[in-house]
Amino acid sequence: MNNPLNTLPTTRREFIKWGGRGIGLIAFSRFAPSFLVESTLAATPAPEKDRSILVLVQLAGGNDGLNTVIPFEDADYYRLRPTLGIKKEDALPLGDTLGLHPSMTALHALIKNGQAGIVQNVGYPNPNHSHFRSTEIWETGSSSGEFLPTGWIGRFLDNACAGIPDGKEADPVAVHVSNEMPQSFVSAQTHPTFGLNGSGGRGNPENLAFLEKLIHHEDHGANANVSFLRSTMMDALVTDKKVQRVLGGYKTEAGYPGTPFAQSLRNVAALVAAGMSTRVYFVSLGGFDTHSNQANTHQRQLQTLSDGLAAFQRDLVAKKLDSQVLTMTFSEFGRRPNENESRGTDHGTAAPLFVMGSCLQGGSLHGTSPSLKLQRNQDVTFTTDFRQVYATVLDKWFSFPTDKVLGKTYEPLTFI
Amino acid sequence: MKLDIPLQDAWQPLPAKDWNEDTARHLLRRAGWAAQPAEVDRLMKDGLTASLDRLFPAKANPFPKPRLIIGIENDTEAFAKKLRAAETPEQKKILQREQRERQQQAVQDLSIKWLQFASVPENAVAEKWVLFFSDVYVISQESVQNTAWVYAFQDTLRQLGFGPAPDLAKAVSRTPAMIRYLNLQESKIGTPNENFARELLELFLLGEGNYTEQDIKESARAFTGYREKLGVFHFAPAQHDNGPKTIFGQTGPFAGDDVIDLAFTRPAAGRFLPHEMVKFYLTDDGIPIEYLTAIGDWWRGTGYDLRQLAQHFFGSRIFFDPAFRGNYIKSPIQFYLGLVQDLHLNVAPFPRHALNALRLMGENPFRPPNVRGWVGGRMWINSGTLNSRRQLVETLFTPINEDNLNADEQVQLVAARSAGLSDFTVTNERLGTILTSMTSAQITDLFVNYFLTVRVDADFRANVLAFLSDPTAKDPLARLRSTAITLLQSPEYQLC
Repeated sequence: MNNPLNTLPTTRREFIKWGGRGIGLIAFSRFAPSFLVESTLAATPAPEKDRSILVLVQLAGGNDGLNTVIPFEDADYYRLRPTLGIKKEDALPLGDTLGLHPSMTALHALIKNGQAGIVQNVGYPNPNHSHFRSTEIWETGSSSGEFLPTGWIGRFLDNACAGIPDGKEADPVAVHVSNEMPQSFVSAQTHPTFGLNGSGGRGNPENLAFLEKLIHHEDHGANANVSFLRSTMMDALVTDKKVQRVLGGYKTEAGYPGTPFAQSLRNVAALVAAGMSTRVYFVSLGGFDTHSNQANTHQRQLQTLSDGLAAFQRDLVAKKLDSQVLTMTFSEFGRRPNENESRGTDHGTAAPLFVMGSCLQGGSLHGTSPSLKLQRNQDVTFTTDFRQVYATVLDKWFSFPTDKVLGKTYEPLTFI
Repeated sequence: MKLDIPLQDAWQPLPAKDWNEDTARHLLRRAGWAAQPAEVDRLMKDGLTASLDRLFPAKANPFPKPRLIIGIENDTEAFAKKLRAAETPEQKKILQREQRERQQQAVQDLSIKWLQFASVPENAVAEKWVLFFSDVYVISQESVQNTAWVYAFQDTLRQLGFGPAPDLAKAVSRTPAMIRYLNLQESKIGTPNENFARELLELFLLGEGNYTEQDIKESARAFTGYREKLGVFHFAPAQHDNGPKTIFGQTGPFAGDDVIDLAFTRPAAGRFLPHEMVKFYLTDDGIPIEYLTAIGDWWRGTGYDLRQLAQHFFGSRIFFDPAFRGNYIKSPIQFYLGLVQDLHLNVAPFPRHALNALRLMGENPFRPPNVRGWVGGRMWINSGTLNSRRQLVETLFTPINEDNLNADEQVQLVAARSAGLSDFTVTNERLGTILTSMTSAQITDLFVNYFLTVRVDADFRANVLAFLSDPTAKDPLARLRSTAITLLQSPEYQLC
């Protein structure tokens, strides 16, 4: 092999051949060699088409729900939002009383043709106003006063991915497009996850090749943690190499915008299209913490979100992958119904979230809108628990028993 | 996990015949961050008992209060006044935002200063002990906000960390940081807040299953009236519930301190902290309960003295048992400070070096994820954190480009240099002296023996030697640098 980057096996067949050279499974037998990948080269088996995939889109900072889905027939809305309120004639209609923010034309079109929907007024009892804590509540799927050590996706993986025999699983089960692994992925058992971060960190090829050699090195006397670290590092290196090749070779006509967010979604589409057996992707869009002069910022944010999501969906449809993928947004909280003195909004509670995919049914609006009969600095009261949304995804999308992940059952919604 | 060492031997002192450079290194790596040769020599010269006496002193070296913390403390009253005088909510908000930024800057500065302090071999063991306690008694700057309180909290752990455990618990319950973090501030007669009482029994003193819900409810009543006023503990008698309470089967008009004393009458109290020590210092698999009961019974006899516990633990046969060599996944802080010590570097004085790396590796100083603290062990490791560990090693071998530093960083660099700290990265000059004075085989042995705790076999060494002495390599110095970097990135170096 001339290219020092290519010393690791990237297909099952290569792996077996390579295993024959004495590097093989024995050293890692306690841990599934999950780097066995099977779809990037022409001769490898076709990807599994029946896998349901979830794409989580985090709107970090707390998205202003009331200016995302606008109750334009509600006088209280304009009482609470004297300068920030979006006029009825500007909103993109979603029915007689609600409209979408004017910058979200692309997503609006998807909603109109049934490929996207809105779950209204989603939150939880005893809401917490701290970004950190409320994000943790959403990501762990806990109650307000409860501290769970694992994330809801992590518990899904613990339950759904346990018992897969060694060597059968291929790709990372969950991929996050960010530097830090999201709390949602934290699990009690170890699963191959992968962080797709923009910033290099791959080191120079010479070091990498040497590192790979050291990791491949077979040592029967190695303790369990050495084996664990070797297999995790090998997974990371092999996956990284595969991912870079997939991303570099990806062709799409979907016309993704140039925003980093849209590019992240493009990368997710590329991995899905490559037939990766990954079940969950996590993409984050920051900048929703709009305490002051929010109008322009929020408009940009929502446009980034809308255009990015629409391009992603377009891409999936073109590749006939749309039936495999469900996309869902979430944010740690909505914002205070009344605007503040700086033409911004402070931390609030419940807010709408978006779902997107060709599996959707039951119309574009789910749940009920919040009542705005509120005093100054009063928050809206949620009408749909976020765990009902999770339950819907687990139950109807992953066909997985909800209580194993959420501790109990929640009444699912009807968007799937 | 099952242990080979019999129970009756486990907590006996290490026999003198087993005290050697290997055991000395194990002690330095586990109780501190790394085993610098000079420190190993010193341990060998002093012997185990005298070394334990020095490493776990009656009083830890004081960690000087950073200037920014002093500034915040001095401004506490003035700021409170300004906030009260704010005429509009808008003005108030601006003040609060400024204060948040100031606190944020202060916690970064505190983190760097602490890393610098803890990296000095003389302080390493005591500061790791402080880090251990901050993973038992958890608070977070993220939620406490006031960085001066965070400093004061940590200093409480440092000041009382080698005294009786009940004294430490009582002092912690009076720190403004804890009062804020676990909602004691709002807890009053009639409406006690259970948050602190629950974590006190579950996470600080006894562990789950060793108390009842009733014990928590009644304990919460005992802690009503604990307040913080301008950063100072203050007991509000009018808010305190002084009625009779039944806790662990005993009834009386108990106050907070009584709850702590009562908890220490439970057998679980003796087991709990040794169990936490095992997980923090020895193995995340834990050890069988009878081993914990044994040391717990002994510890109770000392009046729960923490210094004696530490010396007993770190001098025991079980601590030096071969099963616990090279099996422990370094925490990000240990990985970083271990690198700093192994490479004889100084902690770089600006956040972007160490703090960014620590955050990405999953251990943001003073900001644990939640009240349980960091879980540790294999939870430290995933593809992202391993990548960040690799990047950190590269950073430590890449000269700082001073043209790229912002104004703050320039100032911090000048200040650090004038304090005698200047070796932030491994330079080619240092690598060059190795290259000119040693053969490739000697360098291989030096690197493998010095950096790796895990025993590696002859093939591993052969791979290193082959890479190092590759005749096609154009630049021997670059090759040497690559060798060092890669060994420090290897799975083996993640363990100690």
